Amino acid sequence: MDGDSSTTDTTPLGITGEYMAGGTYVLAQEDDGDESFNDHDDGNGSKDFFREQDIYLPIANVARIMKNAVPQTGKIAKDAKECVQECVSEFISFITSEASERCHQEKRKTINGEDILFAMSTLGFDMYVEPLKLYLQKFREAMKGEKGITPVAVGEGLGEDLTDETFTGQLPAGLITADGQQQNVMVYTTSYQQIPGVQQIQFS
Amino acid sequence: MSETNMEEKVDQTTNSRTISLPISRVRLIMKSSPDVSCINQDALFLTTKATELFVQHLALSSYENGSSKDTNSLSYSDLADTVEETETFQFLTDILPKKILARDYLKTLEEMEKEDDNL
Repeated sequence: MDGDSSTTDTTPLGITGEYMAGGTYVLAQEDDGDESFNDHDDGNGSKDFFREQDIYLPIANVARIMKNAVPQTGKIAKDAKECVQECVSEFISFITSEASERCHQEKRKTINGEDILFAMSTLGFDMYVEPLKLYLQKFREAMKGEKGITPVAVGEGLGEDLTDETFTGQLPAGLITADGQQQNVMVYTTSYQQIPGVQQIQFS
Repeated sequence: MSETNMEEKVDQTTNSRTISLPISRVRLIMKSSPDVSCINQDALFLTTKATELFVQHLALSSYENGSSKDTNSLSYSDLADTVEETETFQFLTDILPKKILARDYLKTLEEMEKEDDNL
């Protein structure tokens, strides 16, 4: 398996051997009395369902990104990879809790992109903000390209499945029909439903 | 020369549209924070991408900062040193302690227990 806690050296964390058994800690129901290891230098004493330090990103992905960042011939020690894996989870939680706090302050329930960017610059990662904005822009453009319906597509799809989306898209002024005749006037009302067999409305 | 190549590589990954981390896992980690209800799609993508940048940043800083330049490899202690010295990475000090020998740790543990007994 990938880097589970069982392969991580947890000795410095003051955690007993029991903690090292098994890979996942879903639904950890613990009594207060037995929570001895939670009292050690653990910043987050929360007893939520998921102990956040147990959820990691796959070590292969993390290692690949590290390898690409470090010069070609550089090697990376295994415990370094595992360590970065844990750091990453910590980073995500760090950003998220800061963004979440701001959300609460502004009485909003959904964390949006702005919150994340703001959290980053607050926490000292403002050097990421500009590249991230660029990335988001590029990503949005890519999404638009895939989802958008072009005018040609609307015309071609007229006889087939028309969804509500089609009517909200931009319609061409004219439409080339199957027999090549151009219809100059095309009117769609909100009540227009696709009637089987009817491909266009004709105005005499 | 090689530095420019490194920068280019980082830039490429920064500007590429592809993400090399599983978004669902990132969402899971985000949701494990207390009081988090809904996460916007944009926020999720930004966090995932930021995480990539973070890994690159941490790896590169540790590599350049540490003694690894001679050995051409990145070790745990390089990371621990960088985290201690760089302000931006200070939030990681708790989970990245410097490693000590087991016997030293056991000694410390014994002393702690003695203190508890005395209380």
